[in-house]
Amino acid sequence: MKAALRYVLTGTRGGPNRVRILRALDDRPRNANRLAEHLDLDYTTVRHHLDVLRDHGVVERTGDGYGTVYYPTDGTRRHWDLVEEIAEGLAL
Amino acid sequence: MEWIDVARVSVAANVAILSALTWVWARNYLAFRSKHSMGLAAFGAVLLAQNTLSLYFYLYHPVLAGWFATDMTPLAWRANVVVHAFQTVALGFLLWVTWD
Repeated sequence: MKAALRYVLTGTRGGPNRVRILRALDDRPRNANRLAEHLDLDYTTVRHHLDVLRDHGVVERTGDGYGTVYYPTDGTRRHWDLVEEIAEGLAL
Repeated sequence: MEWIDVARVSVAANVAILSALTWVWARNYLAFRSKHSMGLAAFGAVLLAQNTLSLYFYLYHPVLAGWFATDMTPLAWRANVVVHAFQTVALGFLLWVTWD
C-alpha cells in the first residue's frame, strides 16, 4: 500500500494534483464536480485522477451518477502520515 | 537499412522517452522535494545522459562515428541493437504507466 501511494502520488505525471485531490477528500468526501470547483481543475481531469486513484485502491466511492461521493480507503487512512509527508513540500 | 541506422533510431527513441520521463519526475521532485521523487529524477537523468552519449558516439564523434559506421561487423551490430531495442521496449512500458 505504501509503495502504491508513493508511486501514484510522486512517480506519475498527475501526482501533484492527486495529492491535492486526496487531501480535499480527506477534509470532506465530495463528488467530482465539487472537487473540480474546489481545486479549480477541469472536471474531466478530476474524473481521470479519481479513476487512477480508485485503480490503486487509494480512494473509493459511494452511490452512483451525479451524487457519487469519493473518499479515502481504509488502507490510505492507515498510511495517512505518508500522504502528509509527501504533501509537506507541496505548494498548495 | 544498415544495422547502425537501427541502433541510431532505437537510441534516439530512448532519448525521447527518457526526456519525457525525466521531465515528469523532475517536475514532481520540484513539487515534493521527496527522496522517492529525487531517486526517480536522478535515475532518469543518468540514463538519459548514457543514451545521449551513445547517440553522440554513433552520429557525431570524430573517430567513433566513422568506426561504428564502417568497422563494426554485422554480428557485433546485431548484438548491440538487441540490447538497445530491449531498453526501448522497457522504457516504453515505463512511459505508459508514468504518463497518467
